[in-house]
Amino acid sequence: MSVLEKGADTTAGWFDDRLGGAGYIRKSLNKVFPDHWSFMLGEIALYSFIILLLTGTYLSFFYTPSLTEVVYDGSYIPLKGVTMSQAYESTLNISFDVRGGLIMRQIHHWAALLFMAAIVVHLARVFFTGAFRKPRELNWVIGTLLLVMGIVEGFAGYSLPDDLLSGTGARIANGIALSIPVIGSWAAFLVFGGEYPGTAILDRLYALHIFVVPLLILGLITFHMLMVWYQKHTQFAGPGRTEHNVVGSRLFPGYAAKAGGFFFLVFAVLAALGGLAQINPVWLYGPYNPSQVSAGSQPDWYVGFLDGSTRLMPPWEISGFGYTVPLSVLIPTVVLPGVLFTLLGLYPWIEARISKDKGYHNLLDRPRDKPVRTAIGAMTITFYVVLMIAGGNDVIASVFHLSINTMTWVLRIGLFVLPPVVYFLTKRACLSLQRSDQELIHHGIETGTIRRLPNGEFVEETVPLPEVYQVGMTGVEAEPLDAGPETPAPVGPGYEQPQLAQAPDRDGFFSSRRKREKVPVESDAPALEQTGSRKV
Amino acid sequence: MTTPPHQPEPGSIRDRLSSPRPTDQASGPGDSRTSDVPESSFQNGDSAGDLAAHGRGHKQIHAAMAPEPVGLDRHAMLSDRDAKAAERKVASLFLLALLGVIGFVVTFFAVEQEFGKPWNTWFTPLLGTFMALALGGIGAGAVLWAKLLMVDEEAVQDRHDFGSSAEERAATSKALKQGLADTGLPRRKLLRNSLLLGAGSLALLPLPFVGFLGRFQNKERELATTGWEKGARLIRQNGTPVKLGDIQVGGVESVFPDVEEGTLRADSPALLIRMRPEELQLAGDKQEWAYQGHVVYSSICTHLGCPVKLYEQQTHNLFCPCHQSTFKADQGAKVIFGPAARPLPQLAISVDDEGYFIAEGDFSEPVGPSYWERG
Repeated sequence: MSVLEKGADTTAGWFDDRLGGAGYIRKSLNKVFPDHWSFMLGEIALYSFIILLLTGTYLSFFYTPSLTEVVYDGSYIPLKGVTMSQAYESTLNISFDVRGGLIMRQIHHWAALLFMAAIVVHLARVFFTGAFRKPRELNWVIGTLLLVMGIVEGFAGYSLPDDLLSGTGARIANGIALSIPVIGSWAAFLVFGGEYPGTAILDRLYALHIFVVPLLILGLITFHMLMVWYQKHTQFAGPGRTEHNVVGSRLFPGYAAKAGGFFFLVFAVLAALGGLAQINPVWLYGPYNPSQVSAGSQPDWYVGFLDGSTRLMPPWEISGFGYTVPLSVLIPTVVLPGVLFTLLGLYPWIEARISKDKGYHNLLDRPRDKPVRTAIGAMTITFYVVLMIAGGNDVIASVFHLSINTMTWVLRIGLFVLPPVVYFLTKRACLSLQRSDQELIHHGIETGTIRRLPNGEFVEETVPLPEVYQVGMTGVEAEPLDAGPETPAPVGPGYEQPQLAQAPDRDGFFSSRRKREKVPVESDAPALEQTGSRKV
Repeated sequence: MTTPPHQPEPGSIRDRLSSPRPTDQASGPGDSRTSDVPESSFQNGDSAGDLAAHGRGHKQIHAAMAPEPVGLDRHAMLSDRDAKAAERKVASLFLLALLGVIGFVVTFFAVEQEFGKPWNTWFTPLLGTFMALALGGIGAGAVLWAKLLMVDEEAVQDRHDFGSSAEERAATSKALKQGLADTGLPRRKLLRNSLLLGAGSLALLPLPFVGFLGRFQNKERELATTGWEKGARLIRQNGTPVKLGDIQVGGVESVFPDVEEGTLRADSPALLIRMRPEELQLAGDKQEWAYQGHVVYSSICTHLGCPVKLYEQQTHNLFCPCHQSTFKADQGAKVIFGPAARPLPQLAISVDDEGYFIAEGDFSEPVGPSYWERG
């Protein structure tokens, strides 16, 4: 035993004498994580958040959240002598006079965009593979909350530099608050401290941005990870993988090395972006001025869909009895996100209810095997993308020389016509893909060889699909590889019926795949063992 | 309790910390070292012991703890030569990180970032490149190391099931109820009611603090009024007043009230537009509010408050860049497209003795986004 090992043991022993936990640590080191490229999407979000904390801390040392007017006297000559808020001045200083401040700002902004993007893609992965099903509904809700928190956090940060663009964002937020029936003006005055713009909003957004919301996000992430750890990660069907086990690599050393390395890779990409790809050059926009705005002003991408819904909304407003309800603001910016995020958060229960599937699920679905769910997801993405395109309709119109009015109308119609079309097409595509899988399973892979039999008949030779693919395709649980005695079903009180994945047997709304009995890896198919053949 | 009942003598801790994994795999179901519950950060030792006692078979638990590597080495063991080559690859990536750090530090101190300094535009790109090399070297090295040189195992671990046993649930529920009964709360009505009242009123305690966050006294008046007042001159952003004749037909000027902080107030910016008097089609007395083809509208969008500043001379269209609401300037700024529901409020103007434009009063209705009390 080397000196180093001895020292490590002594130290570890010292702690263990006081805290215990050696057994727990050993178990943890041995914890198995299933491996699939799509499982790292959530990791990207986590790492982006860590990078946001690191870069944000540095920025907070130099930023001043104050609307106090000062005359700029920094090194950026074009703005010398311009009256501006301290917030904007300190942002300029970070960009020009603080060593490495600009790269920190740019990494921070890129990391925010990546954080949100990774969350959304991770959400899509979880949705399309059915990873949100029992017992993981709670984690799905936490994920939804993280998405919402991320938008709030991003919006607050976007407003801090107090440049022309971010001030416009705050103006719009004020209008949105005002639009809420009955309490609107109270809410707006509460948040802004008085009539817009007031003097308080930056301090408040700053407190939210660097303390309150990050703390909530950190707490939710912690809980998210603890649940993944405790419930163990889901996995795709495959040889040896069942509802009752996890197949993959152990935390230490393989998984830890890969995940740790991946953190540095994410950081490297963000550093390259922050250094080489300019983002939000606030010095070009100038300080905020309520009477100015630049054409083509856009929010960050994750708010784009709300901007788009606002642009597409017709000019509806109800007035009567001395009161006004500005539907043209309320519906696209309050009601729509409220409904969308509520439906999103409740989706696991909605699906369980409709499909009557109350069982535990640890094996993931292939999207094609759940045509309705996949079609719902594709439909939602279409809806979202139309809104996002609408959020940039002025830019698109001017780049492609289109009429913005025509474009808005096309998008208004598209918002309601495209999603059902996509729903239908996706569902058909899923069913076709299922059939093509069946084809492969039943007939094997085409070899291109045609053989003539002695009686003159021509047959096409096929090679059976390797079992590893068959298992993955059918999702039919394979025997554990060790072929030992089957893991006994949990016994004892409370386990009368461990409903592991039995429900999908029914041909319900959500699993319109043809019944399991027809799918099977053919108990009567010794043909698959040999070279299959079929007539041509 | 810190040590679960099944834990062995503490003396073997070091052995366990450093014991190679095969020992774990080899240990049988009866091995006391591994016979406690599956790893769990949510259960304490006590209930875990109970669960193990009637919930789960030892064998399964054991399996859950010590995964069995199966299907070892998808790409078999490397030959010595290949392993050396792989090691060199990984090592060169780690050394790349060193180079990146050196480059980063040199750039940080040798290149000046300040605007106008030589090489200043290179500062951030160089910093980013070196940072990416440093971080990427470590990252790529670690991943490659894991992929090329570490055992590529397929370990299998059993899942533990969720949901406690019925006994467990009943016992917990009973303990809770017993505890509640022990407090005497269900029996002592006075205690219960006073607690409800006292603790309930605590919820009101933060309300004054929340209320203090906003000044609501003049809320509706503030929302309904702007900086414009009777006799206030129309000034430009730079403070100069606008005179009749300053603006050509088809011209447009951003104007502010000549009052204290008039150019800073967010609700007061307006737009002075001049067109031929016959082009201006205003309803009723709004005709009077214009002056010889000069008309002033609030430039705060009635949709969400962005400044409506884009004016198209030929069509007299006013365009909001935020959400594309379009107003017809020659027809009382009525909405012809987009989400805005109301015309931009018009300001009554005239000209004073010296020929400068003045306001005839404030806007006759609130400017900017609609709200509940707006009427």
